[in-house]
Amino acid sequence: MSSTRKITDIPLNRVEGDLEVRVEHGDGVITDAWSAGILYRGFENLMIGRGPLDGLVMTPRICGICSTTHLMAAVRALDAIAGVTPPDNAIRLRNIALMAEHVQSDVRQSVMMFMADFANPAHSRHSLFEQAQQRYTTMGGSSFIDVIRETKKMLEVVAMIGGQWPHSSYMVPGGIAFEPSQAHLLQCLQIVRGYRQWYERRVLGCSIERWLAVDSRAALDAWLEENGAQRESEVGFLLRFGREFGLDSIGRGNEAFLSCGSLDLPADTAVSGSTRQLVAAGVVRHAAAEAFDHEKIAEDVSHAYYKKALGVLHPSAGETQPHVTEREGGAYSWIKAPRYDGSSVETGPLAEAVIERRPLFLDFLAGPGASSLTRQLARLTRPATLLTAMETWLGECIATHGAAIITGDGRVPDGRGVGLTQAARGALGHWVNIENGKIARYQIITPTAWNGSPRDEKGVRGAWEEALVGTPIADPDNPVEAGYVVRSFDPCLVCAVHTVKRTS
Amino acid sequence: MISLYWLQCGGCGGDTMSLLGTETPDVPTLMQSLNVDLLWHPSLSNLSPAGQEALLADLKSGARPLDVLVVEGAVVHGPDGTGMFDAPGGRPRKDLVAALAGQARFVVAIGTCASFGGFGVGGEIEATGLQFTQSKKGGFLGADFRSKSGLPVLNLAGCPCHHDVLGNVLLALAAGAKVELDELQRPVDWYGMTVHQGCTRNEYHEYRVEEEDFGEKGCLFFHKGCHGPLVGGTCNKTLWNQRSSKTRAGVPCFGCTNPGFPTPDPFFETRNIMGIPIELPMGINRAHYMVYKGMAAAAAPERLKKRITEV
Repeated sequence: MSSTRKITDIPLNRVEGDLEVRVEHGDGVITDAWSAGILYRGFENLMIGRGPLDGLVMTPRICGICSTTHLMAAVRALDAIAGVTPPDNAIRLRNIALMAEHVQSDVRQSVMMFMADFANPAHSRHSLFEQAQQRYTTMGGSSFIDVIRETKKMLEVVAMIGGQWPHSSYMVPGGIAFEPSQAHLLQCLQIVRGYRQWYERRVLGCSIERWLAVDSRAALDAWLEENGAQRESEVGFLLRFGREFGLDSIGRGNEAFLSCGSLDLPADTAVSGSTRQLVAAGVVRHAAAEAFDHEKIAEDVSHAYYKKALGVLHPSAGETQPHVTEREGGAYSWIKAPRYDGSSVETGPLAEAVIERRPLFLDFLAGPGASSLTRQLARLTRPATLLTAMETWLGECIATHGAAIITGDGRVPDGRGVGLTQAARGALGHWVNIENGKIARYQIITPTAWNGSPRDEKGVRGAWEEALVGTPIADPDNPVEAGYVVRSFDPCLVCAVHTVKRTS
Repeated sequence: MISLYWLQCGGCGGDTMSLLGTETPDVPTLMQSLNVDLLWHPSLSNLSPAGQEALLADLKSGARPLDVLVVEGAVVHGPDGTGMFDAPGGRPRKDLVAALAGQARFVVAIGTCASFGGFGVGGEIEATGLQFTQSKKGGFLGADFRSKSGLPVLNLAGCPCHHDVLGNVLLALAAGAKVELDELQRPVDWYGMTVHQGCTRNEYHEYRVEEEDFGEKGCLFFHKGCHGPLVGGTCNKTLWNQRSSKTRAGVPCFGCTNPGFPTPDPFFETRNIMGIPIELPMGINRAHYMVYKGMAAAAAPERLKKRITEV
């Protein structure tokens, strides 16, 4: 380590959960990074010995932001064990609630978590700073308040299908617990239409069709200059502010992408996808696409506080503060390190866009490469790829009201099953064993485990650790750049950090 | 001006997500109208690391007054009482809970984890609530704890807490109104009725027309493990997300406002003796209940027996 390098622990909030990011930096640039999940909740072990359906009630409560996604993963694992395929309308109504969760989360995270830092005093010399303060100041900015008002309407859709948001348990093995009334389905459709109009007016500044026609970096530049509505929209502001600050040149990461696929297509539907799912599964490493196979996932615990490492902590836990090591090579996180076929990968909307071969994002990868700005752009514009299908599926549910909503009797025999789906922030998997009518094993890999993982046994960094390396850090007391890099992955962690500096 | 500090401990953030769904018309407007100075919220604040440290130092020393401390998530004591399973900056978060609770005029536990420990009571993380461990008074702060106002911890239970409860409690505190609490220190305005009250399946319950299979019209109490008649909560009086509730969507109430939540018994099942649930609606005599339900089932109108009436 050179004599000018420092270690700084960076406090970041406006994420969900608990995280500390430790960075080594010198000459104003991050030279290494360690990401530590600092809260252990022991959820997987709480599941053992419980009733076979209890994952439907327990696992949504892992996460207040993506509770519907955990429900989807849990029920898909039980579907697999029971060997049942839900009827078309159950598939639709599962998908619609999950998509509602996604389209509100994408906009909330972008404006309230990511773009809120545009109002940070670190940007006081940015040409758009005054506008940014007016729009994104937390709890008071015009966009901040607008987003809270509009996104909560979308969650009424989840309530009408599943009873409440967050933490519903309406998906049950083989289908859903109850068919919403036609009146509720019509109201859901009206809410989705209203959200679409707002999203087009304020977030995109144009119609969804116009946005989806943006198919290259050149086309994006032309779109941005096309009119005032697009320039002043949330997407337009993200691009203009982000480019001036240089968000397009930080946070590249390892450019290995994973999606486990999501949103099964009903057998009979007007919605089409490249596969039997609306969101395709796949892996892209070194620009080469390959099929996704969940058997190639392995969890590395070489740098995580699990099993052997935990045993080391216990005897001295009363006196020591062992949970962040100051040397590379030790355990430093409660997050395990999932690897795909040995690779550290990222997951989320950018990964989905790359795997689905969306031309705009492929053009970025072929040119300057991935960046925090590209990653955030993929998230803020993902609802454009979901809202039309939501409307179509709601229309199909209304047209076929009264059709079956469950296959089988809702019971689950002994067996093993995997439930895979995409959360707003990326790939989620539940691996479940039922033995003697009880849960014998429950293992979960979350999107943030992929994106925010610690090193593996080969010393390879997790996705946002890698993305942090090379990032400028102008003011270690207010390191907004590192915040953008980490938040561009939409971490499901609340980051809490102290600052200790040392010169070695 | 009411200063408010929101501390997240061992939880999922679901109470924050729930709160954002309140129709008042929205959280920022609610805070502005009540003149709440939100000093810190882990998801809603923008304060530099140095600013956050200075704020905490001022609050802990009392240099800056703290009106309301809201705690979301359980107090984590594990492993072995150290609290190191939840230790930002290498310091157990429970120490910060104690320091801030000692300075606050009001201490509010939002959600069942903060109120009663919830997930993780008796587990590896050795969770407790602020002033209860499940139904046993004491918890982290102790049975005799009183905040500077003289009140014990206000338990706004639920998993998550219903989105309108916190705003209403803040409204009461701002108005200087007395917040009447039940024996579990929950405001009776929100927990003094059962979840069963206002359930659209009430007639099916009344005449014991039972749901055995998902998707039926019927009462979820007898086979599907519904806790609606067993627990206090506002879910069917003040709807979720302005629209519905679990029981209206065919999902049993899981009893999440209760101190024992989550119980070890399997969800979606009703434990019973001879077809009568072991746990009966609050305060009911078993023998009387059996006679009443037998007669009620015999008196059920055809429109319920044939499940014609919508729910």
